[in-house]
Amino acid sequence: MPEPRVPDPVNVLVVEDDATIRRAVQLALERYGYRVDVAADGLSGLEAFRAGTYDLLILDVMLPELDGIGLCHRIREESLVPVLMMSARGDALDVVAGLEAGADDYVIKPVDTPVLVARIRALLRRATFAPSQSPPPDAPDHLLVFGDLTVDTLGMEVHRAGEPVPLTPTELRLLLEFAAAPGSVLDRRRLLREVWDYGWEGDTRVVDLCVLRLRKKIGSGRIETVRGFGYKLVRT
Amino acid sequence: MGLLNPRALRWKIAALAAAACCAVAAVVGFLVHDATRERGLRVGHERTITRLIAAERELSRTGKAPPDVDVRTPEELPEPLARDLADQPDTGGEYATWYDADPPNWYWMWGAVAVGDRQVLVVRHDMSTEVRSLQLLDRSIVKSVLAALVFVVPLAALATEPINRRLRHGARTARRIADGELDARIGSTGRARDEITEMSAAVDDMASALQRKLENEQRFTADVAHELRTPLMGLVTAAGLLPESDEATHLVRDRVRALNALIEDLLEISRLDAGAERARPDAVPLGELVADVVRRTGTETRVTAGAAGTVETDPRRVERIVVNLVTNAHRHGAAPVEVTVTGARISVRDHGPGFPAALLEQGPQRFRTGATERGRGHGLGLTIAQGQADVLGARLTYANAPEGGGDGDGHGAIATLDLAPVPPGPPDASRTP
Repeated sequence: MPEPRVPDPVNVLVVEDDATIRRAVQLALERYGYRVDVAADGLSGLEAFRAGTYDLLILDVMLPELDGIGLCHRIREESLVPVLMMSARGDALDVVAGLEAGADDYVIKPVDTPVLVARIRALLRRATFAPSQSPPPDAPDHLLVFGDLTVDTLGMEVHRAGEPVPLTPTELRLLLEFAAAPGSVLDRRRLLREVWDYGWEGDTRVVDLCVLRLRKKIGSGRIETVRGFGYKLVRT
Repeated sequence: MGLLNPRALRWKIAALAAAACCAVAAVVGFLVHDATRERGLRVGHERTITRLIAAERELSRTGKAPPDVDVRTPEELPEPLARDLADQPDTGGEYATWYDADPPNWYWMWGAVAVGDRQVLVVRHDMSTEVRSLQLLDRSIVKSVLAALVFVVPLAALATEPINRRLRHGARTARRIADGELDARIGSTGRARDEITEMSAAVDDMASALQRKLENEQRFTADVAHELRTPLMGLVTAAGLLPESDEATHLVRDRVRALNALIEDLLEISRLDAGAERARPDAVPLGELVADVVRRTGTETRVTAGAAGTVETDPRRVERIVVNLVTNAHRHGAAPVEVTVTGARISVRDHGPGFPAALLEQGPQRFRTGATERGRGHGLGLTIAQGQADVLGARLTYANAPEGGGDGDGHGAIATLDLAPVPPGPPDASRTP
């Protein structure tokens, strides 16, 4: 049942065309202490997103005017905010398209409120991630260098050839996971568990597509696919 | 089709070409042999007669026969020659010949002519050169046939290569389509408008028709899913908002859950029926997976996974199967429910009345829960488990424990999922790397 309210209200925007779901999700999340705004179609969703500041977006895939995938693309062009896609069609195309557009995770409708809240929390944890295993501030090796890529595990910044690389919290978290074990192969299940907080029920395509997006940003050769096992970060 | 397969089209056509080659050579060889032999005999015959005429002339001129000509009495003549000589007056000739090709006097052309009373001039002409050259001719015919075969057989085998390539391409494409690559097509291979092109076009048409049908079904399933799940999502979330303490809340939530489960099961079955499901394999430590899955079902179930292996399989589908088997065991069987993982094999056992005979015989049937004592349920769980096992290429078998075995009360049902079924060999060969 509703947990103690979060001290610092988290702002969530829900874009959903079905009036009942919209209102019910709003009420349910408000009971958990989130501050929830809603929009009924893609364009008004984009407008609401630009007008306010949100910590998390929940987007339905099938929306009138501008669909959830298009909306996610537009939002990714200007923001790194965590995005959770909500699809009523569990088929591969919807899921893959949503993740390719830059969504961090997805849920299939109908989803129980506790499950939805668990996904939201996992996403927010990534957004406010502070690595406990990172070295103390005065340690000189908080700057990890892999070729032209520099990962600052303290300032949470990534530079490629001197240029800052904008990464979403999920992408950053994934990169840190690789950077903590450079050169060793990390399997999809482990990444799904460490980064997304999923057990066996999670879908490894989430990992594959996030790795794909990460490669686009940090250089495609940086993360290698090890067929049948997973991925590894190239040391140099 | 390996190069060494003797039944390959390549070798069949090569054998056909070789047979045709040999047949032509046999006919031509026979005709040439015969004509050469005829000619040899005619020449031998003429020479023998020429010598006889010369000998006759010499005899009449000098009274003596040349040294290479015998003068014999008719009784001294070999039997066939004597007969031929006796026949000469009847046929109007006077020179008799006999070709002696039988042992011991091989290859002599005998000639004889009667001179005076009881005197016969006999000439022997050696035919062994002709016979020898005939043998050499035969040998060279055989040699040239063999030489021709050395070229013809590889050429024929090579000439089938374009055909073979097209056929192999067709077979590969068909197999790709069967493996789920629905937009694979053979296409027009080669310029020839032959039977292979025709068959390729027919296969392509069939693949298109199948693809359309499958896509329509998939689209329908996806649309149905959307149309059902959207109101259900509203219902689920709204039911979550009802006051906790109310008894009606529990009734509503219980039914919402049941409806939700039913719809998800139906959608899953229609996806499985559409045949569009593909496994996404991963190296899975089976013991860990099963323990986690069973824990999340929230049921009283004991898991023994001491000898579990790591298996290349799709963990989400294994989860669906295990959840359905465990739920089924609790719903229709009786506690305790035990799950045992050995190698690549998962077995779920309960201690209830066992599976109904119909299930053991025909496998799971939709909306049929068998005997009424098996309790309530819509009977889709095992159908789904079966469908998912098929997608994984795993084997799902049902059995009842023998009476008196196990823990005594009731015999109980055992469902076994074998993720790495090996047709022959040891029963629990796990593919542990």
